[in-house]
Amino acid sequence: MKEKEVQRGPEPILNGIFTLPPYDKEGPRLIGALCARCTRRFFPPPFVCPYCLDEIEEVYLSSQGTLHSFTVVRVKAPYGLPLPYCLGYVDLKDDGLRVLALIDPTRIEDLRIGMEVALCVKEFGDDGKGNPALRYMFSPKTEKLS
Amino acid sequence: MRSVSVVGTGIIPFGKHLDQTLVQLGRQAALNALRDGGVKPSEVGIGFFANFLAAHTFAEFTIGQNVFWEVGINKVPVLNVENACTSGSSAFHMAWLSIASGQYDVAIVAGAEKMYVPGLGLINSGETQLDTRLGFVVPAGFAMRAKRHMHEYGTTAEQLACVAVKNRKHGSLNPIAQYKDILTVADVLNSPMICDPLTRLSCCPIGDGAAALILCASSKARRYTHNPIAIRSSVLVTGGYENPLSLLPWETDFRGCRLAYEKAGLGPKDIHVAECHDAFTIAEILHYEALGFCPEGEGGRLAMSGETSLGGKRPVNVSGGLLSKGHPLGATGVAQIIEIVLQLKAKAGPRQVDRAKVGIAHCMGGDKDGDGKSCTVNILSV
Repeated sequence: MKEKEVQRGPEPILNGIFTLPPYDKEGPRLIGALCARCTRRFFPPPFVCPYCLDEIEEVYLSSQGTLHSFTVVRVKAPYGLPLPYCLGYVDLKDDGLRVLALIDPTRIEDLRIGMEVALCVKEFGDDGKGNPALRYMFSPKTEKLS
Repeated sequence: MRSVSVVGTGIIPFGKHLDQTLVQLGRQAALNALRDGGVKPSEVGIGFFANFLAAHTFAEFTIGQNVFWEVGINKVPVLNVENACTSGSSAFHMAWLSIASGQYDVAIVAGAEKMYVPGLGLINSGETQLDTRLGFVVPAGFAMRAKRHMHEYGTTAEQLACVAVKNRKHGSLNPIAQYKDILTVADVLNSPMICDPLTRLSCCPIGDGAAALILCASSKARRYTHNPIAIRSSVLVTGGYENPLSLLPWETDFRGCRLAYEKAGLGPKDIHVAECHDAFTIAEILHYEALGFCPEGEGGRLAMSGETSLGGKRPVNVSGGLLSKGHPLGATGVAQIIEIVLQLKAKAGPRQVDRAKVGIAHCMGGDKDGDGKSCTVNILSV
């Protein structure tokens, strides 16, 4: 007898870098790592601490940050990403980490260096094989200007 | 370490070579270099071949052995080098090391690339990497540095565009350049936006091309040529990948340049002519600062000043740079060094820099965690 196909939602672009839905009131979290010996934090989690070669422990990182820089990609999108899409570096609050992230493409006109942004996880683009994929993204915390 | 010199150069025009294979491009450049240096294949002790994409685009690999045997080089060690944009200059570094160490007297370096392949997307950080899977592409990395440079230092879109205008003007004087038409600042600013603030004419085009060099122990170089060009220092560094990464100043770039000056016992003031990795207009501005041609943050103003144009105080990318030649990755780093060699030999024709005695060739490649994966800096002198 043929097994009933399990309905699966979109998969994350990589496993173990952000928490998966459904979310509680805290919302999604990026999964980073901490080296207990040198107290450095990392994102994404490394194999071992590259400074101490000690095992690392996974930790949730801040969902809040400030936009360090950004750009709008307007051509040749990989992974079926809808054009234009935005990329930025976000300084995570309290973690001392600067992470590459997608930035909310519906807010292009509002983006400013130094603005506060918050994490979300969205179905955005595909996994390289045409299946819809989950990606993390930061969005301005202020209301839309226009 | 022994002193090492360049005794032969070979290059083919950069552009579209749809009817030729990678091996055909590479062998022609290698043959040109052997003939230019008057070096017999049997005198070559070791060979390095640089290429970036062929395993991916053509399912071609260990190409160096194919290229070198076509020009009579066999039995000796041959290595295939891949280091993104610095593949060619990394191969050069290894060739320098193999002679400087005393193990070999003569080495050949060849780099070749074919990029006019249907469906070739923008270069990324590698398919398994988080950055790539998020949607990172190389122009985006430079665009974010540009935005930050504009934010911190007041660099303007016009200053960025000046780099493309200057390099295209230089390219119009170089027979091997792919694009030789003159541009205006308005042309650059009004071309389609690729990654804000970088427009299409702010980004180097792709290209097919090949370039080759023959290196020789300086003590034996005069067997081949009356004017060998000495390698004063050859440096290859890789990224620090530290977090929080610093977009500005670019630590890896500054570290590579500083090390090259230290090893050569020279400084920015000693440099008469430079080739640097102008894959994007902002890149040349960042490299001015790393190379010490201006203080940090002043790169945009330097680009606009004319000092780095042919006829200026210290011309940069007189070959036309990647912005005019195109960027066949495996060939690029070798071609940059060839331009410096031609300048120092006073054989650069209409784009000759007056009294050029010391030159520097700089390249950067690869992206990882917002950092470069490699930076090569080679200082040469008469």
